[in-house]
Amino acid sequence: MRLRILGLIAGFLGLVSALSAQGNKVLVVLEDEADKSKYSQLWAGLSDRGFQLSYQTPKATGLSLFQHGVPAYTHLLLLPTKSKGLGPNLTPNLIVEFVNAGSNVLLTLSSETGVPSAIASLLLELDIALPPDRNSVVVDHFNYDAKSAGEGHDTLLLSSTKAKAGLKDYFSFPSGLLALPHPVGQVLGPASPLLSSIVKAPSTAYTHDSKSDSTTESIDDVFATGNQITLVSAFQARNSARFTVLGSAEALEDKWFDASVQLPSSSSNAKATAEKTSNKAFAAALTAWTFKETGVLKVESVNHRLAADTPKDSTSKAVTGHSFLNLEENPSIYRIKNNVHYTIALSEWSHNSWQPFQPATSDAVQLEFSMLSPFHRLNLSPSTTQSTANSTLLEADFTLPDQHGIFNFLVEYRRPFLTNIEEKRSVTVRHFAHDEWPRSFAISGAYPWIGGVWITIGAWVVFVALWLYSAPAKPRGELKVQGGKGGGR
Amino acid sequence: MALTDSDNPASFFFKGETGRNTRGLLRLIILCTIAAAAVASRLFSVIRFESIIHEFDPWFNFRATKYLVQHGFYAFWDWFDDRTWHPLGRVTGGTLYPGLMVTSGSIYHLLRFLAMPIDIRNICVLLAPAFSGLTAFATYLFTSEMSESPSAGLLAAVFMGIAPGYISRSVAGSYDNEAIAIFLLVYTFYLWIKAVKVGSIMWGALTALFYGYMVSAWGGYVFITNLLPLHAFVLICMGRYSPRLYVSYTTWYALGTLASMQIPFVGFLPIRSSDHMAALGVFGLIQLVAFTEFVRYQLPTKQFQTLLRASVFLVFGGAFAGLVLLTLSGTIAPWSGRFYSLWDTGYAKIHIPIIASVSEHQPTAWPAFFFDLNMLIWLFPAGVYMCFRSLKDEQVFIVIYAVLASYFAGVMVRLMLTLTPVVCVAAAMALSQILDTFLVASSPEDNSTDTSSSKANGAPSTANGSANANAIKDKLAAAFSPDTLRSTKSPVVGIYSYLSKSLIAGAITAYLLLFVLHCTWVTSNAYSSPSVVLASKLPDGSQHIIDDYREAYYWLRQNTAPTAKVMAWWDYGYQIGGMADRPTLVDNNTWNNTHIATVGKAMSSREEVSYPIMRQHEVDYVLVVFGGLLGYSGDDINKFLWMVRIAEGIWPDEIKERDFFTSRGEYRVDDEATPTMRNSLMYKMSYYNYNALFPAGQATDRVRGSKLPAAGPELSTVEEAFTSENWIIRIYKVKDLDNLGRNHQEAGAFEKGNKRKKAGKRRGPRVLRVE
Repeated sequence: MRLRILGLIAGFLGLVSALSAQGNKVLVVLEDEADKSKYSQLWAGLSDRGFQLSYQTPKATGLSLFQHGVPAYTHLLLLPTKSKGLGPNLTPNLIVEFVNAGSNVLLTLSSETGVPSAIASLLLELDIALPPDRNSVVVDHFNYDAKSAGEGHDTLLLSSTKAKAGLKDYFSFPSGLLALPHPVGQVLGPASPLLSSIVKAPSTAYTHDSKSDSTTESIDDVFATGNQITLVSAFQARNSARFTVLGSAEALEDKWFDASVQLPSSSSNAKATAEKTSNKAFAAALTAWTFKETGVLKVESVNHRLAADTPKDSTSKAVTGHSFLNLEENPSIYRIKNNVHYTIALSEWSHNSWQPFQPATSDAVQLEFSMLSPFHRLNLSPSTTQSTANSTLLEADFTLPDQHGIFNFLVEYRRPFLTNIEEKRSVTVRHFAHDEWPRSFAISGAYPWIGGVWITIGAWVVFVALWLYSAPAKPRGELKVQGGKGGGR
Repeated sequence: MALTDSDNPASFFFKGETGRNTRGLLRLIILCTIAAAAVASRLFSVIRFESIIHEFDPWFNFRATKYLVQHGFYAFWDWFDDRTWHPLGRVTGGTLYPGLMVTSGSIYHLLRFLAMPIDIRNICVLLAPAFSGLTAFATYLFTSEMSESPSAGLLAAVFMGIAPGYISRSVAGSYDNEAIAIFLLVYTFYLWIKAVKVGSIMWGALTALFYGYMVSAWGGYVFITNLLPLHAFVLICMGRYSPRLYVSYTTWYALGTLASMQIPFVGFLPIRSSDHMAALGVFGLIQLVAFTEFVRYQLPTKQFQTLLRASVFLVFGGAFAGLVLLTLSGTIAPWSGRFYSLWDTGYAKIHIPIIASVSEHQPTAWPAFFFDLNMLIWLFPAGVYMCFRSLKDEQVFIVIYAVLASYFAGVMVRLMLTLTPVVCVAAAMALSQILDTFLVASSPEDNSTDTSSSKANGAPSTANGSANANAIKDKLAAAFSPDTLRSTKSPVVGIYSYLSKSLIAGAITAYLLLFVLHCTWVTSNAYSSPSVVLASKLPDGSQHIIDDYREAYYWLRQNTAPTAKVMAWWDYGYQIGGMADRPTLVDNNTWNNTHIATVGKAMSSREEVSYPIMRQHEVDYVLVVFGGLLGYSGDDINKFLWMVRIAEGIWPDEIKERDFFTSRGEYRVDDEATPTMRNSLMYKMSYYNYNALFPAGQATDRVRGSKLPAAGPELSTVEEAFTSENWIIRIYKVKDLDNLGRNHQEAGAFEKGNKRKKAGKRRGPRVLRVE
């Protein structure tokens, strides 16, 4: 009882303070406690949004991602370390286990400190490839910060990119340039649907090993170029745990939050002026997304029932008396060719509250009615009759296929940057019961047979009557007696 | 009791009217004793093990009965079963023979009405023994119609009661359709004989009624559907057409066909499938014959001959052409596969492996006849021969029945069941003949008086061989009526010597005792095992129960979600449904060959191929039976080739039986097993972790007697969930897709700590990500 009350109180507290849909405990792993101050604005921003931050160094003895077998933190922020690995408490296996348990990770890389090989192999599991060189950096001779990286051209300045059609936008910032100093470029696997890039490098960028002499490197050996390089990538596991890789850890530092940067002057861009970076806005958006403050979907309810206007046609006339046609919610059994109404209520967590979910334009939530393969695949449309304050009611009406079996109402909605929705409701679709077929007299094609039956019966009665009441003729008496013996007994 | 004088007071009970009553009472007592013996000998399994449903099919019948009792008749009639054949489901109410379930359901409700609430399980367990008592009674009635010797019926009844051929399908717990169907079969035959003898509509209608009951109970009704027309046809061909035959046949056919069409599973088959066309043809023929008889009455002989010849050819040709045309056009279904396999024993193996894979569909081995029927098998031909001696309509029936059933029993093991009744009847007729001849203490009288004296005596004979001179007269002469075959009219030679009489009587008694011993032995040793529970003998002779099946099924029941789908080979479908109460993909109702082949493919393919199949079918657990540790030969590796064959029938390009044999054509599981074999999911699941039980390199499979490879198989897409005590049942859980989108091999390698190769230096053109 006490536990329950405590839980309730904790829940209330969580409700008041947490802005993440999942939880508010963040573990920050950083090389040195002294580095903490470099990111003070980031910590302040996170704390303001209600996160409880714990700081640990990789070598700390008390560091453990799990407590009693469940994740001790909901979110993990990894800042770059100089060591080759992250120590025994943060092995790639543990981090994968942490992600499999549903927790989120924000991993930051930096070409200055180099990428530990453990991290590289962890990213390979996510199908994110890093350049083989430890100190590889992305260089762009057209979009660099002329103020700070006039020599190395390795502080990239990017303006906000629009989200692709059909996707919701969570990372755009209104104005200004995003400065990414010394970024590590990532190459996403060609086929993985779980990966998506948040910030891509400009088409003029390429990777370059900052430690090696640039002249020895041949053009063919370039690890990746242009748009294939992703500077900030997002991975969303099947259980919707988020794993974000930020190519440039320094972009989160205080000094870049309010630095002013300037694009190089060139022929096309003659009047380049100094601008303030929008790193702070971007960092807020990135942490908000990674720590599940945005883009979290929830199924409020799923309802299916027989459509209210089940037609009273000839085939279903017999059904109306049947017990299950009382429009009960979520029945476990339907009949073939029933008209069915399906509703799903979806809401989206947006920073501090559940909002009605609106799919992006040119996108729709689809319902599949499937057994082995879909028999119906329908776009769900927002309800016109019902509405709720914090969810969208999406609905569809359809006729069940003429096939009995165990079917699933399946809403599988997987989009980049949105948590996955896989809502499967199994129902049984049965055959016509013996008393649900149209009666024979309702089928005009059956009239000849019905007529035949009654004519036979009538003829037999007439025959028996004639037989019984006709006196046997004398000369054939013997014969008839025999016949009567055969047929009469 | 051997000899009673006329002044003995006991003779009062054996003479005249009182004598008849006494004999009737005795007969009743004997029949009741036989029924009791029939029931008692079937209770071995309950005493040895417990009151449990046996084997495979009975589990479904039991489950269906529970459904019927719980939900009522109409819900049962319209039952759509969503817990089998996932995800197709099964229209169970329309695809089963409801007779058995309805029978036990009625008994259940009747007993409740009589304030005797008995658990439905016990009713189901004991239904088969109860009906075997009735079968004995029906056999008595049937045989009494055949033979005038009163002892024949009682002998037949006792044979039927304890013959192993019938016990094999009717021990307590063997809750299968055959449990009631054999009673219905014999009783329908009895009613038919009665109808043909009497020529009354009432008996014909009763035949149709019980035929309808039979149709509702067992698919073997087709045997009756073809045997009765054949009997009628033979009688017509023998020139024995009579109005009695006409009345009984037409009554039976019309009413019986209507009755059979009420069963949803049968439906329109009686007018649409070739299996039923013989009955329809004979029905037409008998109308023609009746009409011809009528015309013959009216016309002079000469004209009649011409007319007859012309019309017979015309009608026969027309009917045959019509039949061929309808079959070709598809209105009449061609013969079913099971029917073809009755004529060509190799047919099923080539065309329908699923039928051939069932052990009870195999041809019978000859020792099985002796095993199941013992001495009856050599008395049987004698009895059939005796039918020829007085070849009346009913004896013709026995002859036809004997010939057909012998053939079928030779083709399929399980049709031994239909042979058993006729063997019992024929053997009883032969034996009663011998007993009637040799058990008479007094010397036979003169031949001339035999025919007259025999009429007065309808005395019974007891089967156990105690001679009663007053009660038992020489019945030999009774078999000879004046108008039978000429060869049988020779005078009787009597038995005068007491020595020969006692010798024969003694020998027969010894045979009978041996028969009882044999039946008891066979019943207790061969047919009383529930096969759900295995029994073995420990070295010290005590019994050891191996209960792995129930252990595993109860594990499933208690540890998995109620909707967790279990994939197993179809043999275990009914048991999983009945005992574990979990949905299965395929079961013993093999209605969908493709679905079974899908499971076969999943079992016989590599994991990478199987996994998508299992995902698509929403499989949560896979169950395999493995006998390697215990030496239990009925395991899945031994059945594996059937899975391969059935899968090959659907996907000949992907599954090839040849790949599972070594280059020398051997089916091996050891080091020399083919890669296909060793990579198949079934092999991997069977031998997974099996090495761990043995010292390194010592793992042996005790069923196939071979040493296994030193390194056991690795599994990546499924994980071991449960293995029973003796490793007979192994259950694996199908893993979900990897959370990070890798395939299971990669995920497994990562967990073991193997680093993935860096993607840095790739050969060939770079694959770019397109977004």
